[in-house]
Amino acid sequence: MAAIETTSPTAKAATAPNWLLRDLAGLAVILIVAAIGFLLFPNNLALLTRITAIALLVLSLDLVTGYCGIATLGHAALFGAGAYAAGIAAAHFDINDPIAMVAIGALGGAVAGLVSGAVILRGHGLAQLVLSIAVVHLFHEIANKASEWTGGSDGLSGISPDPVFGVFEFDLWGHTAYGFGIALLVIVFMLLRLLVRSPFGMLCRGIKEDPIRVSAMGASVQGTLLRMYVISGAVAGIGGALNAISTQVVGLDSLSFTTSAESLVMLVLGGTGSLFGALIGTVSFMVFKDFVSAVNPFHWLTIVGALLIAVVLFAPKGLYGTAAQLLNRSRRQ
Amino acid sequence: MQTVFSVGTDALAYGMVLFVISIGLSVTMGLMRVVNLAHGAFAMIGGYSASYAAQTLGFGYAVAILIAVVGTILIAIPVERLLYRRIYGAPELTQVLMTIGITFCVIGIANYVFGPTLKTIPVPETLRGPVDLGFRSIAAHKLFAIACGVVVAGGLWFLIEKTAFGVKLRASVDNAAMAASLGVRTKIVYAVSFAVAVGLAAFGGIVGAELLPIEPYYALRYMVTFLVVVSVGGAGSIPGALLACLVLGAIDTTGRYLLPEYGEFFFYLAVIAIVCTFPRGLLGRKK
Amino acid sequence: MKKILLTAVAAVALCGSAYADTIKIGVVGPFSGPFAIQGKNFKAGIDAYMALNGSKVGDDDIQIVYRDVPQADPAQSKALAQELVVKEGVQYLAGFYFTPDAMAVTPLLKQANVPLVVMNAATSAIVTKSPLVVRTSFTTWQTSAPMAKVAKERGVKKVITVVSDYGPGVDAETAFKTTFAAEGGEVVDSIRMPLSTNDFSPIMQRVKDSGADAVFAFLPSGPTTLGFVKAYNDNGLKNAGVQFLAPGDLTQESDLPALGASAEGLLTTFHYAVSHDSAENKKFVEAAEKAIGTPAELSFPSVGAYDGMHVIYKMIEATGGKQDAQKAVDAVKGMAWESPRGPVSIDAESRHITQNIYLREVAKADDGTYYNKEIATFENQTDPGLAAAK
Repeated sequence: MAAIETTSPTAKAATAPNWLLRDLAGLAVILIVAAIGFLLFPNNLALLTRITAIALLVLSLDLVTGYCGIATLGHAALFGAGAYAAGIAAAHFDINDPIAMVAIGALGGAVAGLVSGAVILRGHGLAQLVLSIAVVHLFHEIANKASEWTGGSDGLSGISPDPVFGVFEFDLWGHTAYGFGIALLVIVFMLLRLLVRSPFGMLCRGIKEDPIRVSAMGASVQGTLLRMYVISGAVAGIGGALNAISTQVVGLDSLSFTTSAESLVMLVLGGTGSLFGALIGTVSFMVFKDFVSAVNPFHWLTIVGALLIAVVLFAPKGLYGTAAQLLNRSRRQ
Repeated sequence: MQTVFSVGTDALAYGMVLFVISIGLSVTMGLMRVVNLAHGAFAMIGGYSASYAAQTLGFGYAVAILIAVVGTILIAIPVERLLYRRIYGAPELTQVLMTIGITFCVIGIANYVFGPTLKTIPVPETLRGPVDLGFRSIAAHKLFAIACGVVVAGGLWFLIEKTAFGVKLRASVDNAAMAASLGVRTKIVYAVSFAVAVGLAAFGGIVGAELLPIEPYYALRYMVTFLVVVSVGGAGSIPGALLACLVLGAIDTTGRYLLPEYGEFFFYLAVIAIVCTFPRGLLGRKK
Repeated sequence: MKKILLTAVAAVALCGSAYADTIKIGVVGPFSGPFAIQGKNFKAGIDAYMALNGSKVGDDDIQIVYRDVPQADPAQSKALAQELVVKEGVQYLAGFYFTPDAMAVTPLLKQANVPLVVMNAATSAIVTKSPLVVRTSFTTWQTSAPMAKVAKERGVKKVITVVSDYGPGVDAETAFKTTFAAEGGEVVDSIRMPLSTNDFSPIMQRVKDSGADAVFAFLPSGPTTLGFVKAYNDNGLKNAGVQFLAPGDLTQESDLPALGASAEGLLTTFHYAVSHDSAENKKFVEAAEKAIGTPAELSFPSVGAYDGMHVIYKMIEATGGKQDAQKAVDAVKGMAWESPRGPVSIDAESRHITQNIYLREVAKADDGTYYNKEIATFENQTDPGLAAAK
């Protein structure tokens, strides 16, 4: 903040490459981390792919929670809708091309976003939280009831995606799934960087800060938020589709309250209102959980709980938020 | 007609059990403005303590309740001082993260110490077995739960609306700085209200144990139910919570009698309708 | 970063040194969360088997690697199974409490060259998903269908079925209805209730209104079962003489202390009771109680795990410790042995376990505890669910 103020005459010229630089740096970091993950854990790509899918869910949650200030404990509804849309397309309609499945997942997520956004945006604060819980439970129950289509509680199986571009087959080691997931994540991440900086993204932030002023300026608060919800739904839907493609099964847990709550925990852990925070939260939570639950499959929950408490005590703005704050402070001194 | 009465009685009993368990959460969320997702964890600690006191140590039901409520409050005091004090006034999401963390820890510890099986709290002979109401029979412990609900509602209402402590609490909540400058020791007020809320949670956990049995996952299993009750009633409102429990109990019970297949739809659609119509809850306090 | 590198290096080094002559078995189950008691029983059964039969087959050391899937979560289950196969190098996959978790793993087996021994998951169709699946537990069809015969024998004419609205519940309902109709009985009403039901009084009201002589129920074990059985007592159905029939999941031994007197007299059909009277079972229970720590926690998943280990040991013997999934599975087809639950065999065609199903009644023991008392036996039951699905 202070740095920008002192360079005010050249600010315009300097900021444009500045954000570009940061985007490229972000892209580089994702690719490097992905490559390190691949090299360090070549035998654990299934986990890494799962992390990628969940990262898409948490990014999508960040769009509504971090950028628009909507509190929701029901975001898995969008993720699960995407997963089931892609899964049903493959299992019942023989659409096995992975890219087509992702597109269908995005569409399914977007529709679910429209529906749940229309309900959730009717409340504020606690009421909003409860509406979101009600929505995710309704989605869950619908999927449970429509067992002809979804397989109910036994899960939707019989999904066998074709090779990507007809060349790369989905194998036991998960090379293809991982590469496919990282490609999706990078594309979505870059698009979202553009989105949050666009006038539309700024408008959303404005609504989070002061909805009354935004509506006085003549912008439609509800309409803007609903549009963001649909976009968020598409992103979550892509995550869901990736999950369906890589695991070839869709279970009811993908639209459960537990998944919703966990994704919120990951977002807050990383830091809301920043796409990097969402990624860092997901990766650190998932890797930590996998590590402790492998070390002690019986009593790991206590340690995860202790981690969450420690983060609130020592890094109240989330891992990324607090790190960025410390960095800023040391730079200013 | 008899069926209507019968289902109505079930609805009343279920609603009152919900009330006894959730009212403590309404206090923390409405009056102290803390999204306390660990409420169920405290209820569970209460249930476990009572079960331990009654089954292993062999105390009577009343004594066990007393030991459990006091014990849970004693456990909660350091938790409040070390953890909750850091999140009063913090953003809601931070509170969510902290209280979920506490819940995970409590679940893990309960699983480790007491094992994953169900625990029961043996009720005294007089509360066991059915009581004949003329048109039907009802479990005696349900009547007991209804009575407890009435007593708790009355007592809390009196404490908050009619006593000096209630005035101080409401003052601290509305404007902590102003209350402090007028000589209210807000920290102590908060600590005491927290203790009251935790005590109520423990009490609810014990009285409701016949319907919501005690096991390690209790703390998460019923979290949604508690949140729904508080928000439908309006956080911080005692009459609101009471009304919400009766309404939700009625919806849930009738739904499950008439159309058990679609019970979930019935319940959550009703919740959406109520929350959309009364965004602050049925009897919520205006800001 | 440095730390991660170090851990990775250490892990690689460990794998390298431990590889020779050690055969790893990956066990996936619910070891934490709401179903932790079932996972604990898996471990107790496995520990008991290894305590009684040694942790070596031939020259090879056997090592178990546990992974936790707390609730049905096929994506997590598949990721963990993949990790077990690829990273840990397990030669056998076992465990699996929930059907979707087992289903998610079946597509991996052929490519991984790994057999899957299902120690619980009870939906009939799992064994059809891959020729490398063997099941040592039971199916809901297998344990529910005999109950219809019991009902008929006891002169029950009208039955109402009440099940939780999810896969196993629907399975139990269909199994009972089909068999009971074939026996000439009448099912007057069928209720499916949401899994999240806490207060069962309105359901009991429905049962009362239906005028049935008996209620056939299926719910997941734990808090819901407790609530259901209490409601059955509190609402006077027991006193009114409405019989309570269910598969044995409802009266599993770990729930009995909590159910207490309210469970007395309930009739269930199941493949295993801890109280089963045989020398084999006595040996098993003694070892398993020691393994689990708290004897009251011991129940049926432990026997599925125990027999699962027996099957895996036979597979290792047959393959001489070499990884050959098809040969391993072929070796146990038709295999018969004396299990703690009674005589059992692996059906050569379906690879599912053929076993006795027992009718049991919850009774009070001399020391005041409650147990499942076996009172009749249906011998050599195969899985009727598979036939019904065809």
